[in-house]
Amino acid sequence: MKRAVAISRTAAVSAFGAATHGLADALAHGTALAGLPDDVPLAQPRALKMMSRAAYLAARCLASLRSGRPLEAAGYYLGVGASGGSLDDFMALLAESLVDGKLSLAQFGTRGLAACHPLLAFQLMNNFTLCHGAILEHVSGPNSALFSRGAGTVAAIAEAVHAVETGECEIAITGGADAPTHPATLAELARDGFVDRGLCAADAVGLLELEPAVGNAIVIEGCATASGRGRTVAAAITDAVSRVTRDFDVIVIAPWGPPAEDALRSFAGATPIISTRLLGDSLAATPALALIAAHDLLVHTPGRALVLSLGVDGDPAAISVARGPA
Amino acid sequence: MTVAITGLGVVSAFGIGTEALWSGLAAGASGIRRIASFDARSFPTTVAGEVPVECAPILDRDIEPSAARDRKVGFGLAAAAEAWRSAGCGDGERRASLVVALGLEQAFLEDLLPIFDADRRSIAWESAPRTPPVLYRSPVDLCAREIHAMLDLRGPTIVNASACAASTLAISHAASLIERGAAEVVVCGGADSMVNPLGLGGMCRLGAPSPRDELDACRPFDRQRDGLVIGEGAAMFVVEDLARAVARGARPLATILGWGSTQDGYRATAPRPDGSAARIAMQRAIARSGLPASAIGYINAHGTGTPLNDPAECLAIRGAFETRVAVSSIKGAVGHAMAAAGAIELAASLLAFERDLLPGTANHTQLDPECDVDVIGPTPRPARVDAVLSNSFGFGGQNASIVIGRPA
Repeated sequence: MKRAVAISRTAAVSAFGAATHGLADALAHGTALAGLPDDVPLAQPRALKMMSRAAYLAARCLASLRSGRPLEAAGYYLGVGASGGSLDDFMALLAESLVDGKLSLAQFGTRGLAACHPLLAFQLMNNFTLCHGAILEHVSGPNSALFSRGAGTVAAIAEAVHAVETGECEIAITGGADAPTHPATLAELARDGFVDRGLCAADAVGLLELEPAVGNAIVIEGCATASGRGRTVAAAITDAVSRVTRDFDVIVIAPWGPPAEDALRSFAGATPIISTRLLGDSLAATPALALIAAHDLLVHTPGRALVLSLGVDGDPAAISVARGPA
Repeated sequence: MTVAITGLGVVSAFGIGTEALWSGLAAGASGIRRIASFDARSFPTTVAGEVPVECAPILDRDIEPSAARDRKVGFGLAAAAEAWRSAGCGDGERRASLVVALGLEQAFLEDLLPIFDADRRSIAWESAPRTPPVLYRSPVDLCAREIHAMLDLRGPTIVNASACAASTLAISHAASLIERGAAEVVVCGGADSMVNPLGLGGMCRLGAPSPRDELDACRPFDRQRDGLVIGEGAAMFVVEDLARAVARGARPLATILGWGSTQDGYRATAPRPDGSAARIAMQRAIARSGLPASAIGYINAHGTGTPLNDPAECLAIRGAFETRVAVSSIKGAVGHAMAAAGAIELAASLLAFERDLLPGTANHTQLDPECDVDVIGPTPRPARVDAVLSNSFGFGGQNASIVIGRPA
């Protein structure tokens, strides 16, 4: 028998800082200022050398969820973005691989490789955004790292919900983490025209702790992703939403850039709307930040919120979250 | 609801197609060869489970030249096309979801060098042309997008990026979607290639490949094992509800009975030595299958041939099973295909049902006492088994196990 699944705690690092309390209000009224979050050292700074920025931010958030109770048996399902390894290592590798200004594979195989950190691959592997935190916090439950252009993070949240729902784990951590200000990612976003169209890269992570609902909990009622292929964006959004809820009091939108925001706002019509775009475009983290904002809203105001994500691939995703008796 | 595998496609070191993999393994052969797709002579290792280069023009459809540069894209497309065809899929299956495991972005050194300032040791991103062929690196989900387009799928796409555990997790995810009614049909599996300068170089820098640089370099569970051999390829499956498959006349190749995952939560550079988290992943998969552990007749091990993985996995197996079970690893024959490894190894495991043959462990000649399990040697073992467990353990500590059953 399925159990209702509640959001019990949240943690985030975003352009608004490291708080989640008041996030909805800040987004609704634009009261917070943009900027990169402050760095707070982890307990084991030695591990930093192996971490991408996204992995570091995720580990830091996970540590804040740990305080209070251990997470050893917790599930961990995370939406992750592109690789973000150290460019210093990469530059050194390139510099040592040149002969007369041209790439020499022979030089690359010997001096080039020797010039970069032996564990560079661990910065590059997308799953290490999840694994570094899991290692530091000894998280050992069921898990997955899903690549995300928005919908992937919602798919990760759906897997976490399912894991708690079916008793596969009693606690699941889920959300998304991304660092699109990495020069390679930023260059790709610019090359593909997204920056020209108003996308504003911002590093962020949003994590949610899920557990079986008790009492007047804030419950995730459903998650759905849809394909935008072969139909209009509006039709795809309608498809995703129809699979999670028909009624909602507010919509929290998680778009990638202004065109996606316009599409989601069109769907919302007259329904009150909160957008994550004041935080910048945090790619894989964006839907998680939207869900955290929805949770923050429902803590203060009972009702049902719809979280709507739309990435640059045109694939929408929806999450229905409500506060009420379990 | 019973989840059935009704379609299968493979690209491996043995070549293109499921038959190539099955025939190679049935013959006890090895697909490990000297790398031919680029000049690897200066690299610490020059051998790999490389897809034969003569198989390069493997697609009967055009793809973007920039996409074709990423080898895993072609592999994934070829495997997905074979799986779709072999399952007899058509318009009735276009609503299928896609859950595919993919490795990390392939970076292209040759794109970066023109904008690399050697004096300042920096890349002038702003001077880079904004259109291909300058690509820097292929997007993680490029292969998924191409498969989705090729098959004209209308369901959602999910890309699993969990390194070496990714495709076992992806297939498990697909089975879960079918089981809970979230999808009718799912195309799932994995595609990856690290057989490129940065991929191979990165692995060499980690010290993961065997330093012996011979064709028999990877020796899973052997006393002389000293590292892995890089592989590449893809395996894709079509999975659906068994009743639906039977109703449309599809032949089930196997049923997916159970799956489980854990994390080591231990170290980035080593598996948990006692194998406890890997054991729990196996136990979860078996428990979910509803079978007793004694019903598992064969274990397709992760079996990388590295000094640390194999004994930890063997401890895990011995902890999960009270009696000895036949164990083998195909990585000595096809290499470690990273994100595609679990999918290719599950495809190999189907030999047990299709030909009553358990794949062998290439290059395994002398059992390491620290790997005290029933290792099948280089020669495949004839046996009729009704349930198989396959393990995939990823860099970073992600563990995934899956149980499949012989179809009725």
